[in-house]
Amino acid sequence: MAEDCDKPEKSAEISNDRLASAGRRGVLMLGAVAATSVVTIRPALASTAASVLNCKIPIPDPSHSGKYIAQDGKLVAPGTAGAVQPAPRPLTGDEAKKMINGMSPPGFDPNARQAYVNYIRRLQHGTSGFTCYASLQMPGR
Amino acid sequence: MRYAADPQAMRLAVALDELVALYHRPSGVTHLLAPPAPELLDALAEGPADSAELLVRLSRLYDLPDAAAGAIAARMEELVLAGLAWRA
Repeated sequence: MAEDCDKPEKSAEISNDRLASAGRRGVLMLGAVAATSVVTIRPALASTAASVLNCKIPIPDPSHSGKYIAQDGKLVAPGTAGAVQPAPRPLTGDEAKKMINGMSPPGFDPNARQAYVNYIRRLQHGTSGFTCYASLQMPGR
Repeated sequence: MRYAADPQAMRLAVALDELVALYHRPSGVTHLLAPPAPELLDALAEGPADSAELLVRLSRLYDLPDAAAGAIAARMEELVLAGLAWRA
């Protein structure tokens, strides 16, 4: 599964095949502008909003210490052209949220913002900072 | 406004009759989606797109009796709010 994550093109093929294999052309209603089509199931988290905003996301993960971050968020060798240096310190959940929303919190290079945001979006289970990011994703945080 | 979504491999979807239960691996959050939300996420597998382009992609696969870019944008904003897509 993990190796598929870096191949969105392949996913697109699978998606199209799946739709084509349905073998018939369905009717799809887009719905009224005010309609609702997404309901998020919210697990009851023990953590409070405050602790979520103070959790930490190291960039990169300590196991990849020293690596640079490419603009698409992938980790690359130090000094790679176009890539940015590791964050000077772990981001707090609040800082990560600000970066995701287009702001540039103090202490971080504004030019590195997009690379950091893309790195955060790629965080997976088992990677340092994932739980923090997942918590930020909870609606209402 | 252009939208993007994670590749399909990042999601685990289970059809529940008319609805789709969708587990988003990157965030660890589960959502219940009604049409056309799952179809919009699938349409984004080709790459980022705006509402007009999404309408074109969906119309290749489906008849759209109430096609309107405004409705697509409204559905996409819901997906953004849920963390399943983002403004590219």
